[in-house]
Amino acid sequence: MSYENWLNYLQSAEKNSMISGKLRKVLYKFPDGRQMAEEYNMDTGVVQRRAWRKCKQLMGEPEWEIELGEEPRQLNFAAGNKPNPAGGGDADNMAAGEFTLRESNTAPLLTKRVTKKNIEWRIRNLPYPIDVYNVRADAEQRAIIVRTNNKKYYKVIPVPELDRCSIPPVQANISTHHQFNTLIITYQKPAILCEMEAQVLLLLKNVETETDMDDLLKGLLAK
Amino acid sequence: MGETEKIEVRDITRIERIGAHSHIRGLGLDDVLEARAVSQGMVGQKDARRAAGVVVQMVREGKIAGRCILLAGEPSTGKTAIAVGMAQALGTETPFTSMSGSEIYSLEMSKTEALSQALRKSIGVRIKEETEIIEGEVVEIQIERPATGTGQKVGKVTLKTTEMETNYDLGNKIIECFMKEKIQAGDVITIDKASGKVNKLGRSFTRARDYDATGAQTRFVQCPEGELQKRKEVVHTVTLHEIDVINSRTHGFLALFSGDTGEIKQEVRDQINNKVLEWREEGKAEINPGVLFIDEVHMLDIECFSYLNRALESDMAPVVVMATNRGITRIRGTNYRSPHGIPIDLLDRMIIIRTVPYTEKEVKEILKIRCEEEDCIMHPDALTILTRIATDTSLRYAIQLITTANLVCRRRKATEVNTEDVKKVYSLFLDENRSSKILKEYQDDYMFSEISEHEEEAAAVAGGGAKRRLDTGDGDAQAMEH
Repeated sequence: MSYENWLNYLQSAEKNSMISGKLRKVLYKFPDGRQMAEEYNMDTGVVQRRAWRKCKQLMGEPEWEIELGEEPRQLNFAAGNKPNPAGGGDADNMAAGEFTLRESNTAPLLTKRVTKKNIEWRIRNLPYPIDVYNVRADAEQRAIIVRTNNKKYYKVIPVPELDRCSIPPVQANISTHHQFNTLIITYQKPAILCEMEAQVLLLLKNVETETDMDDLLKGLLAK
Repeated sequence: MGETEKIEVRDITRIERIGAHSHIRGLGLDDVLEARAVSQGMVGQKDARRAAGVVVQMVREGKIAGRCILLAGEPSTGKTAIAVGMAQALGTETPFTSMSGSEIYSLEMSKTEALSQALRKSIGVRIKEETEIIEGEVVEIQIERPATGTGQKVGKVTLKTTEMETNYDLGNKIIECFMKEKIQAGDVITIDKASGKVNKLGRSFTRARDYDATGAQTRFVQCPEGELQKRKEVVHTVTLHEIDVINSRTHGFLALFSGDTGEIKQEVRDQINNKVLEWREEGKAEINPGVLFIDEVHMLDIECFSYLNRALESDMAPVVVMATNRGITRIRGTNYRSPHGIPIDLLDRMIIIRTVPYTEKEVKEILKIRCEEEDCIMHPDALTILTRIATDTSLRYAIQLITTANLVCRRRKATEVNTEDVKKVYSLFLDENRSSKILKEYQDDYMFSEISEHEEEAAAVAGGGAKRRLDTGDGDAQAMEH
């Protein structure tokens, strides 16, 4: 029941921070070769996005894996737009016909969001009524498992935040809601998790922040 | 679902061509590396087989790099057979590259480049990698081709597990994969998300009764459980050469298929060696040294031998097995004579396995095995005659006679080859001895017979010539002995 390990891990990283608009972006480079990027909202101090980059594999560049926050996904597949910076080499970003395989755009889509008090998952494109879903906390797998009794959707959702505090998910903290083809699962943050996040913010206070990009741009324009 | 209407006959047994050594399935050794008299297609040659078994054990342990083994012996005493047996005994996991000494003479590539490619083809690297795969049963598959026949194909597939179901859009490349694998509804498949490789695991049990006629090889598997997308640790086995090729060109791995590799820079190789060693330190990769077999090694010239001398010192070198049927002869590219046509300094680094001529009993056994391999039923008397022929002429000639006698036998609509058939083909086809005898008798009637006084020079030129079939090589060797 402690977050010591996680804090030490963050401390060991080489950190870079910059502010752009209302976001503070932090890049962690861990000694084991992994990288993590976070985006904090300047007003609330809540993490909006977090992505991981695991160490380099055999071939090709490593990709960013989004743990938290919206994926910059393009709805218009055929247009073949330029890849988004955070999207890495995502299959969605390739021109039509060049992708190998992708989920159809009617397939359920899971996103995660963190607020001050809760962790929220939204699963879009799930048209079935609320009583079809069965959302359970599985202490053994340390995850929340979503089942459907019509066998259309199944997902093991890991909760890395709780792992970092080394506590299992608890059923009592889960509440679900279904609306507009979207299943919303809300997990109330336990006290220890809030405490951990506060500690992390304290840690980040000491990280120097680079110049605001907007200021920089304005300065350049003025010349 | 137009695809289901034309049920194709699949999984029929593949018809394979029968090669000179296709009857060999291993070295025929027992657990303590003692050679069994007749086993796995190998007959006799006990000492050589036992020695080869020790070599195989050495390769399996994989600790020692850059050893060199020479299989030396008279023509048709089973040198290549032992090498093939070693390859079989090592299994598919261990890389085994087989080449002939004369293969290195190419106009597009230098000799040493060809040799170092061959050496690097014989070093396997097992790489553990975590990849995302999709594993599920195909519920429905739709592939639409445009009416004009060209242009983009559009594909959709629905996959399910016991718990869930998802629709996927298919890209052009993966549609090809699906069509090649003949994926249809009811198959359980895996798709590697990164590479787009489609793999068919079998048919789902729930679809077992769809068709009455299923091939014997159809495997039935359970529908997978849980999520469709899984993270799995997969192990790739690639050779160093393949990594070289992928990294040496902008074409990437396509060069692997076109074979147009050209010269690979030494810097690239060094970089890759370092990278592989790094991976090994990190526990991501394992080096799996294999075997390079060079047949007719006397065809290599002095440059190659000195290159090999150095290449074998490297700790990335495979175990090199060479075979030769030459005695003391000239080293190619020099005027020096040396045992086996190999420089003494390289011979010094080798351990030499000698093969001895087969006894009559062993020859009979080999012929029997070949008869079985070629689906030829032979009367015992015919086999005795054939054995006699084999001891008088050569084993290869006798093996040739099996096929021809079998054809003659079938012409008279019999199933069993008898002595008459063998006699007939013996008179129809000459062996090397009889042929050269005729040549000697009628030498003056043939063209260019006046050159005969320069015979020696001609023989020397022929000896250094291009790759020839082994049996003519035998004749050559025997002619030299005369």
